[in-house]
Amino acid sequence: MRKGKMFLLDILNSLLPLLSAFGIGAIIIILIGENPLTTYNIMFGKTLFEWNGFLKTLHFASPLILTGLAIAITFKASIFNMGVEGQLLVGGFFACVIGFCFEGLNPVVHVILGLLTGITCGMIFALIPAILKAYFKVNEIVVTLMLNYAAIEILRILTQTIYRDIGSGYVSTPTVAGSVMFNRIGGTRLTLFFPITIIVFVIMYIVFKKSRLGYEVTAVGKNPEFAEASGMNIKRKIIYIMLISGALSGLAGAGYMFSEKFKYTLDFSGNPGLGWDGMLIALLGRCSPIGIIIAAIFYSSLKTGGDSINIFTNVPKEIVSVIQGLTILFLSIRFINQNTKLFGNIMARFDSKKKKNEEV
Amino acid sequence: MDFQRIFYIMLSNSAPIILCVLGGNYAHIAGVLNISLEGMMLIGAFASVLFVSVTGSLLKGALIGIIITLVFGLIFAFMCITQKGNPIIIGLAINLLAFSITPFILKVMNTSNLNVNNIIDVAGLKINIPLIKDIPFIGQIVSGHPLVTYVSFIGIFIMWTIMHKTKFGIYVRVVGENEDAAYSVGINVNKIKYIAILIGAFCSALAGINLALEKMALFTNGMTAGIGFIALAAIFCGNGRPGLSSLYAMLFGLAQSLAVNLNISAGPVSGLFKTLPYFVIVIILSVASIIQNKNNRMRGFKNE
Repeated sequence: MRKGKMFLLDILNSLLPLLSAFGIGAIIIILIGENPLTTYNIMFGKTLFEWNGFLKTLHFASPLILTGLAIAITFKASIFNMGVEGQLLVGGFFACVIGFCFEGLNPVVHVILGLLTGITCGMIFALIPAILKAYFKVNEIVVTLMLNYAAIEILRILTQTIYRDIGSGYVSTPTVAGSVMFNRIGGTRLTLFFPITIIVFVIMYIVFKKSRLGYEVTAVGKNPEFAEASGMNIKRKIIYIMLISGALSGLAGAGYMFSEKFKYTLDFSGNPGLGWDGMLIALLGRCSPIGIIIAAIFYSSLKTGGDSINIFTNVPKEIVSVIQGLTILFLSIRFINQNTKLFGNIMARFDSKKKKNEEV
Repeated sequence: MDFQRIFYIMLSNSAPIILCVLGGNYAHIAGVLNISLEGMMLIGAFASVLFVSVTGSLLKGALIGIIITLVFGLIFAFMCITQKGNPIIIGLAINLLAFSITPFILKVMNTSNLNVNNIIDVAGLKINIPLIKDIPFIGQIVSGHPLVTYVSFIGIFIMWTIMHKTKFGIYVRVVGENEDAAYSVGINVNKIKYIAILIGAFCSALAGINLALEKMALFTNGMTAGIGFIALAAIFCGNGRPGLSSLYAMLFGLAQSLAVNLNISAGPVSGLFKTLPYFVIVIILSVASIIQNKNNRMRGFKNE
């Protein structure tokens, strides 16, 4: 019973902030003279309740699931990897470089090479803050944030100079070769990226729930001093966690590159980037794998819906990021905890009913 | 290389960082990690420029900008202290809100940036200090900055005095050292933390005004470009001492100024210098942390 109650609490604690954020979002939409109901209807109608639209939502959810997992694993360990965005960009960029540098390779080899490059680059980029945090106790938030800015600048320069596609009218790299482009499956928006994501998700689920590492991550997050006292090598754990996080972000970038963008442009990851969306998803999903996948699909529908409100209404699509910020703000506090009276009363009533039933 | 120009830009660029450092220091010492300095600065910059263009008066615009930033500070404090949320996540949310609300409003207004050049004369805001401006070399560096830049440097002493010579400063430090002890001797812990966060918001607003209104009379999307986080790094490096942190802030200002100046003379790869301040921060923060933790035998890592 207790477990069920906690589960219900978790769901309510995720739903209420969401509703509040959408409420305030609605007020903002009214203030600029538009109808919030039609806006929200356009946002979700096409993306969740139409089959093809839903598949498109799933397609765009793939990188979000990966970044969500990448952030959740560090949050669980009380490490704040704010560099998921930078790791994703670096992974995506170098996967793209591999993608257009080699022509005529066997597609299977080429795809594997490209994805591995993305993963490796993400890991290398995550290794810097990891080593600094583990061995020198440098605050990882500042380091990862700063490296994000540095990564964006360096990639911008690379795109503008060495890897610039001269023929293109705007600043971008050349398009990747056909051998690494993921084909759409059966006329839908889905590509190979989604199954890959699901496989990675299953692996991560097992790591989270069943493996020793998953247990140790939680232990480090709950009380690092105790974890070290009981014999865990915290330094190595921090490095592992950051490496996994970097690998997931790098894979997200590489997959997004091969399945959607095909070339690196300066707005590759959008604004706010996929890494920041991952933060919302990890929080919304309460850092549990199943929660993350639901949150990612929901948020992906919000994002793809944001594009259609731009077309059909006068509401700027920045409203989506406003709602995102509000959601994170409300998610940071627990709306109801076990001690809240109203909730306790309801639960008590359920309990007594159950008891009565049992007695009968 | 024009050293006069480099040092002038250094002082000019340091001002918003120093303001953020001074404001953020109180929250840091009171034990609240405020990473929303960046967002608050952006809100301050945006609101002040917006209301200057609405009201047509510099003073009114700046005041309203400060008030709006303080409201965001209040939201942060309420969520974090009264509701006991995680300050890092709340800070992130405020940053995200700041970086999404400003382009949202700009889109609604149908412009890409806010320009109040017709209301404010930027060159006229620069104050030339009599006597000092006549000193050769140094005069041209120190003199000719807008008001808030001077305020930021004077602020170092003011903040130091408040921190070390007043009752409030002692309370803040006690709260940071040991909350329970502070509570037991009758200090209103929550009130102290609220004030600490609001001071941070106030200073961030000033930094925003300095950045957008005084120097350029212009607001563009995401114009703070990580200054708030640079300030955060300076606070960590200085470990809560206003003077030392400000010194680090000036070092970052120097890195930025060098980046701007090398930019002009370097040619195509000049963009690489833009990354200089960020790497400088990472290196300085690492060195500072190594020195601070040299004799540390604590287990695990501190949860901040």
